[in-house]
Amino acid sequence: MSRAEPSPPGLDAALAAPDRAALRAELAPRTPLAPAAVARLTQRLRGFAAPRTPLRLAVLRTYTTELLRPYWIFEALLEGLELELYEAPYGSVWTETDPRAGLAAHRPELTVVCLRWEDLDPRLAAPLQGLAADERRALADAAVAQLSGGLAALRAATPGTIVLTLLPHRFAAELGAYDAMAEHSEAGFRADLKRALAARLRAELPGVYFDDLDALIEQHGRAGLLDRRLWQTSRFPFSTAGAQAVARHLLRYAVLAARGPLKCIALDADNTLWGGVVGEDGPDGLALGPEYPGTVYADFQRRLLALQQRGVLLALCSKNNLDDVRAVLRGHPHQLLREAHFAAMRVNWEPKSANLRALAAELNLGLDAFALVDDSPHERAEVAAALPMVEVVPFPAQLVDLPHCLDELPRLEILALTDEDRRRTALYAGERARQAAAGQAGNVDDWLRSLGMVMTVGADVSRHLARIAQLTQKTNQFNLTTRRYGEDAVRRMLDDPDWLVADFSLADVYGDSGLVGVALVRGVAGAEAEIDTFLMSCRVIGRRAESAFLAWLLERLAARGLRRVEAQYVETAKNALVREFWSAHGFSAVAPGRFSLDLNGDWRAALPAAPIEVRASNGGGDGSL
Amino acid sequence: MDRFEQLREIMALTFDVPPESISAATTRDSLAKWDSLAHLNLMLAIEDGFGVTLTVDEMSEMTSVAAILARVGQG
Repeated sequence: MSRAEPSPPGLDAALAAPDRAALRAELAPRTPLAPAAVARLTQRLRGFAAPRTPLRLAVLRTYTTELLRPYWIFEALLEGLELELYEAPYGSVWTETDPRAGLAAHRPELTVVCLRWEDLDPRLAAPLQGLAADERRALADAAVAQLSGGLAALRAATPGTIVLTLLPHRFAAELGAYDAMAEHSEAGFRADLKRALAARLRAELPGVYFDDLDALIEQHGRAGLLDRRLWQTSRFPFSTAGAQAVARHLLRYAVLAARGPLKCIALDADNTLWGGVVGEDGPDGLALGPEYPGTVYADFQRRLLALQQRGVLLALCSKNNLDDVRAVLRGHPHQLLREAHFAAMRVNWEPKSANLRALAAELNLGLDAFALVDDSPHERAEVAAALPMVEVVPFPAQLVDLPHCLDELPRLEILALTDEDRRRTALYAGERARQAAAGQAGNVDDWLRSLGMVMTVGADVSRHLARIAQLTQKTNQFNLTTRRYGEDAVRRMLDDPDWLVADFSLADVYGDSGLVGVALVRGVAGAEAEIDTFLMSCRVIGRRAESAFLAWLLERLAARGLRRVEAQYVETAKNALVREFWSAHGFSAVAPGRFSLDLNGDWRAALPAAPIEVRASNGGGDGSL
Repeated sequence: MDRFEQLREIMALTFDVPPESISAATTRDSLAKWDSLAHLNLMLAIEDGFGVTLTVDEMSEMTSVAAILARVGQG
């Protein structure tokens, strides 16, 4: 049952906040809000002048979801999004794939499908123990097949992200405590089915995700998330706290898409990574390890390491003597994060905003991809004022909340986990070694030759799908048109003979960068093609890889018999770097931002030379080009 | 603030109507915005606002300002 929550202490301060960011900071850490508080905060957020990004959300459901509305609206506003909601008629899910249904007209960026277990198979409305083992297996297989079939139809009917949820079961396991021991465990059956479904979606339906609301049961408890009064009388399952948690949880997909992922967490050291001041207390005097409060800092480092392993970079940004900090990183027995875990460091006495700028330049990232965790309110205020695009994380009032201070950041969510993600920090370490060698080499050409670069190019390689979509979404600087594509859109291009989906990876003596460049070309079945997208990860800028890749791409198009290639430069706030790219590679300007290349002409002479050996990807391609 | 004023504020926020449009005589039938969905929202807001827990039967009976005040107390 929902219980009256006292108004959180931050509510009055939140209502008085001058802007959205300040209001959001006052509500951290997030506690459940009473409906009246949500209504007041919604009014307040609506009053702020700052423009909001529209978010078109669709909800397809087999149970009542109308009571989620105020929470969808509020949680979206809190993230700077103005919700446009389409709720399909109660019970209408798969019929929404009809082009005349409301879903198509709404053109949602995010579609949430809210099903109950019994929607997968009517037999799931009864206790499972009544089914024989082979019946259950057959039921699970058929349910996964039928559900992925329905989702495939939905995928074809609507662009954008699709998130499937299953309503958490309202009872504890049928076999009680013995369920954990039972050969035919009910919890095991549900877990196995969810995993089989996720594997199917991963392999077959890009842009369709299964989101496990049972994770919210773990967090809030069954009685905390669900309200049996509302379920039995109105078929609305959630408590007020649960409704808010569900809305916030599912909107993460939209926030991530609208505002982009955070790529780097900049961390203060003293009283953030460990308790105490290393310059005064010395490494041995710090709170870090098995005794409170050292346990809290050890836990926080553990959380940070998990984020690093999902592909987020960590950077140290500390006012300290470098030797003092190094002594902890190298020698403290309970320091979990070592030098190798940090992609970059700025340990000096400069203002933090200057150091964040330097870190962004070194890592080739935009400042809006940075979060800062710092215990000092002065430092946080200095950065917030100088660099408003940086996500300054509210520092918890209670130290025990520190390990959880990043839990509520939707922009740290990932939608795929690629090899590049897992190796990202090591890739940056290779880049540091490369730059050090550049400093010693006589000139740029000598240095580039010394790298022994090998480029592996791929054409229409399906298994690169997730990474290609990820690059279109994340690449800002070396990106000629900055068109963002989801996995579903890239899948359609891969399947379309009129499109070429090209990519490359780059290796050298310092390591393998992984897949770092993409070109999407439309019109390859005709005589004139258009380069819709040409981009490259900032990680390999400055090595002439773009010239080698373009040369290979043009050769391929010429060999296919194409006569002309059109290209565009679409200016953004971040891609001035590539303004002259097409002109520098022999393309003629035909209109502002539009370029053209005659493949019958002497275009090869105009291409800059690049000391890179180009090889074709193994097993890639469909041979159509 | 007495109970009626507190209830009026909760109802105004929940139904998105001016507080003056709610009187001691207001019933579910007399207020267009008091539909079944708004009723559930109102019940949840009352639970939070007055710190009470309502049963299913109470929720179905609290269809007027008078009935609500009878449950949460005149204060």
